[in-house]
Amino acid sequence: MAEGFTFVQERSGIAEFTLDANGMQVLVAQQRVAPVVTLMVTYRVGSRNEGAGLTGATHFLEHLMFKGSRRFNKRAGASVFNVLQQVGAQINATTWLDRTNYYELLPAEHLDLAMDVESDRMRGALLDPADVEQERTVILNEFDRGENDPLRKLHQAIFATAYQAHPYRHPTIGWRCDIEQITADDLRGFYDTFYWPNLATLSVIGDVEPEAALALAARRFGGIPAAPVAPAAVRTREPAQEGARRVEVRRPGELGALTLAFKGPDGLHPDADALDVLSVLLSLGKSSLLYRRLTDRGLATSAHAANFRLRDPGLFYLTVQLPPGRTHAEAEEAVWACLREAQSGSFTPEDVQRAQAQLAARQAYSKDGPFAVASLLNEAIAVGDWTLYASYLDRVAAVSAGDVAEAARRWLQPAHSTVGEYIPTAGEDRL
Amino acid sequence: MKLAERIEEGAFAGGRWQALAAPVDGIVAFAGSFGAAPDFAGGEETLQDLAVSLLDKGTRRRDRFEIASALDRLGANVQFYADGDRIGFQGRCLKQDLGLLLGLTAEQLAEPAFDAAEVEKARDRMTAAVRRSMDSTASRASGALARSLFAPSHPNYSHAPAAKLALLAAADRDRAAAYYAAQYARAGDLLVAVAGDLGGVDVAGLLGEVFARPEAPAAAPNVALRTGSGPAARLLEHMPGKDSLDVRFGHAVPLLRTDAAFIPLMLGVFVLGGNFSARLMATIRDEMGLTYGIGSSLAGFTPDASGYWQVYVTLSRENLVRGIEAVRREVRRFVEGGAGAEELARAQTTITGSYKTALATTLGLATALLTNAERRYPKEYIDRFPEIVQACTLPEVNAAISALLSADRLHEAVAGRLDADALERLGSPG
Repeated sequence: MAEGFTFVQERSGIAEFTLDANGMQVLVAQQRVAPVVTLMVTYRVGSRNEGAGLTGATHFLEHLMFKGSRRFNKRAGASVFNVLQQVGAQINATTWLDRTNYYELLPAEHLDLAMDVESDRMRGALLDPADVEQERTVILNEFDRGENDPLRKLHQAIFATAYQAHPYRHPTIGWRCDIEQITADDLRGFYDTFYWPNLATLSVIGDVEPEAALALAARRFGGIPAAPVAPAAVRTREPAQEGARRVEVRRPGELGALTLAFKGPDGLHPDADALDVLSVLLSLGKSSLLYRRLTDRGLATSAHAANFRLRDPGLFYLTVQLPPGRTHAEAEEAVWACLREAQSGSFTPEDVQRAQAQLAARQAYSKDGPFAVASLLNEAIAVGDWTLYASYLDRVAAVSAGDVAEAARRWLQPAHSTVGEYIPTAGEDRL
Repeated sequence: MKLAERIEEGAFAGGRWQALAAPVDGIVAFAGSFGAAPDFAGGEETLQDLAVSLLDKGTRRRDRFEIASALDRLGANVQFYADGDRIGFQGRCLKQDLGLLLGLTAEQLAEPAFDAAEVEKARDRMTAAVRRSMDSTASRASGALARSLFAPSHPNYSHAPAAKLALLAAADRDRAAAYYAAQYARAGDLLVAVAGDLGGVDVAGLLGEVFARPEAPAAAPNVALRTGSGPAARLLEHMPGKDSLDVRFGHAVPLLRTDAAFIPLMLGVFVLGGNFSARLMATIRDEMGLTYGIGSSLAGFTPDASGYWQVYVTLSRENLVRGIEAVRREVRRFVEGGAGAEELARAQTTITGSYKTALATTLGLATALLTNAERRYPKEYIDRFPEIVQACTLPEVNAAISALLSADRLHEAVAGRLDADALERLGSPG
């Protein structure tokens, strides 16, 4: 047992510890495919935690975490990117509804350097007002890039329509006016609320001895205190939807698209497993129902189903891209017909076994390289329980054909749907 | 232990193989390709894309759903692609399914059905993809730059969307099938790489059994194509509603991927725009806040065809003029002053480190083996590449920059919502 840690549990080759000094959760898995390691810090804060006027704060803060911390900054000649990329690390960060993660995939001998950087910026980010101003225009360009994409606009419109009270209605990048006006003090407040070791999970996956990884973690993170005050819980619950909703996005473009979204359960709910299997049956591979009924028949160029497993109730989501000459109405009718088939119990036990095999293979492939494991763990942490990664195959294997039909009937109800259409327009005159 | 020492290799009729056992449990990846020779000027690349998109839509023995069902039952996947002068495939599966999957892949390559109805559907999907690309500022800017830099006969040329749509409309089942059959028949250089959990797997026997083609000819000789590009020009693609504009700068470089100057030049370009700590990100994004994304790279180089140097950036409308001017200034400073010693050392460590991390998955390993073989390097090159990168000196790198890059010859392509006023303020390109 590594000194300074309490062992919690081990599941699927991943050991969980708590760093006694401050309550930080640490997950370690040894994987010897190549002499590399992935270090990931997942903060349990996402756009879900943003209030009015502060949308985009989580994402803005993610950008500023690369602008410098006490010891790793440009003025000291050691910016985060310089220091890590010069040892060959692949580094980045992402913001999502329920979490923010920072990661390094790097040669195993440099693990301590990555730990050093992550621990320094956990409480030592500079958040300099001048950096905030410089980064604001960078983020506004990122925002504009997103605005170029009609499918992204449709996605935003769907979330903003399906959710009326819950903060999932805000895009993770934020609304433009908030990005334009957020201050360094606002960001400091956000940082001081959420960036503490006991509100984060440190994952170390790769070619490393667990004892050695824990010793490094204790050395780098052990001196950081736990959060003095627990962050306020997100109290808002989305009220029950009492009727179908529709939304349109019209902007210049070439070909239309259609999305149907349904209010689903939270990510740890047992029905979420059946909905995952349903999403595979609907759209993974060329024997899936949407492929056969839409893509193969020329009603769509692509059709995807996804179950957004989130911390709070998420969405079951279907997106269809239209080919030239096909209408939204034709595609929508075909999707509803597929959903009615699913609800009527048309998927056989053999179909469900095939979907389970596909999910099992996907999980097996996640062991192919340390980044894939860390990435799946990251999403399980976001949902609220990392062991969802470890128990996932058992949960999915327990789903029957009857469970799939029942989940489809329970969650994919027209009255709980939000249907969105992207309708391309001709645009303005040329120059 | 060096990787090359663990690589097994051999030949089968019509091709060669390499295999690398990796310490991963139960997973195997494979990648392969063979040479093709489309008439680029005549639009055969479109025919090639169409034919390759049909490889997973049925064989003479099994229809598309039988194949799909077999793959889905295994949770495996195989993808086919066409990349200019090569047609390739890659896949990943559980170890026990390797024989089945390779057999299926070989059948798909050798006996595609090219069913007429499937050809029509594939053509519709490709037409839709071209139409969607017309909606992408990145795609429009890259396409315009490629048309400005290369002649239609060069693999790096890109037909305009309207021309692609016309080529697709003219493509039919018989032409696609005849084109593919001719390429597959003449290809005597099928290369296959396998990596992963290979304990107890008879790779040589397996590959020989499924891929051997006794009638395959010897690999065709390659004719090297080295081209430069004409004087600086500016291409404008007006796209209503696109408030973030994509801008591409670039010129052709008459160098092959296998030329000695390639790696020094690649290092130099990496110093300019290879990653977050490179010059362009440090100045245009980090210091000036003008963009979310900027970078520079060498693209389109193969052992047989020269490629080009490019700088890419996205700029919001209000920053278009300032951004283009700042990029030009920074690029000129780099071309004239070259890289610094510290910058080069950082680029060398980054590239060799990234090379190492790219080999962390079975597919990464299989792809690296295949790429190596496609470039006609011996297996030892997989270990030598980082050594060659580390051995490059600053004078070599700066000599390559000075000899092969020019700020005056940069072509410039801008795609997005354009203001007449802004364009007037831009001045001439180059």
